Amino acid sequence: MAIQTILVINKSGGLVYQRDFSASAPRLSSNEYLVLAGTLQGVVAIASQITPKSLQITRKTGSKSGSDANHSSQLVPYVGALGSSAVPAQELGSFMGPDYFNEAFTSWNTTGLKHVTTDQNSLFLYQTLTGVKFVAVSSQSATSTMAVSIAENLLRKAYCLYVDYVMKNPFYEPEMPIKCELFDKRLGELVAQL
Amino acid sequence: MSASTSGTSAPAAASRKSLKAFSEDVWKNKTAKINAELFTLTYGSIVSQLCTDYERDFTRVNNQLYSMGYNIGVRLIEDFLARTALPRCDSLAKTSEVISKCAFKVFLNVTPQIGNWSSNKDSFSIFLEENPLSDFVELPMDAARELWYSNIVCGVLKGALEMVQMDCDVWFVSDVLKGDQLTEVRVKLNRILKDEIPAGED
Repeated sequence: MAIQTILVINKSGGLVYQRDFSASAPRLSSNEYLVLAGTLQGVVAIASQITPKSLQITRKTGSKSGSDANHSSQLVPYVGALGSSAVPAQELGSFMGPDYFNEAFTSWNTTGLKHVTTDQNSLFLYQTLTGVKFVAVSSQSATSTMAVSIAENLLRKAYCLYVDYVMKNPFYEPEMPIKCELFDKRLGELVAQL
Repeated sequence: MSASTSGTSAPAAASRKSLKAFSEDVWKNKTAKINAELFTLTYGSIVSQLCTDYERDFTRVNNQLYSMGYNIGVRLIEDFLARTALPRCDSLAKTSEVISKCAFKVFLNVTPQIGNWSSNKDSFSIFLEENPLSDFVELPMDAARELWYSNIVCGVLKGALEMVQMDCDVWFVSDVLKGDQLTEVRVKLNRILKDEIPAGED
């Protein structure tokens, strides 16, 4: 899985960060990326509004077992050895130990858009509880459940980096474009290890 | 870690263990640590500088600490969520549990007690038996009446909860520094900001 582009979209739908990692990534102007980010925000909102009838019915009856089963299916397995073993422990910012996390975690995005597959690319989307979206575009044309969970693991690590090098930067203003060199550098390392 | 997913109950990230064990693990194995004295003394120097800057007008010091805390809280919530990836709390009781057992544990390494629930379950108190912010502190005579020394904590809670769409009021009720029996922080939920919950959640 080669990551071509990573985007970060703030909770109001504005693009705050965009970076290409491969030369084959499509060349879009920054304005076009802004439009893309806004569109994604809209699509996520619409996708969460339209649900198959059968799911709507199970949700309405609100059977306890149904919601539980739904919950466990939202559990993203931990994918270890995402290159992180190559990183010395002190390189993880405020995190400790061989990796940022080492357990399965719940996906906060339960009914929104999670991935898009096209002939040449796949797009993965990770949304946080606070509404920040992390988007990765990879150059593979087929997605499996495994690929999606790998992408979610990767994007959660990107979120960990965002927390350390963007949120803890006193000169970063919330909701504004990210211009943090350390974040750039660490994200580059993370993607390069893949 | 075994990948067995048994019947999932409350926190799915920690479905196999309790929230307490999960927090303990996050604090112990996944969070970088520093000497707590450095933290305590840094906070002390901020408060004492604020008192000087505001010419011992302690109401303004309280407000300033609160707004500093707010600014920390809106950022710190992201750190907390990235670290723990806990699912959204479905009740205020759950929220209080996460705050005391997980958030305070991870960032301050204390586990305050929760109690004093209001009859309609919309407010609760956090009892800080040990408060790492106020080690080595004695309030001067003129500050003892008005200054809430650890007021930054209220701001942090307010800011962090607001980012997960819970509009709360947070304030100090009593403080051992002022000669009270207990240090008590009151949290009152005004409303849940339903419109701002990001799309894609149930």
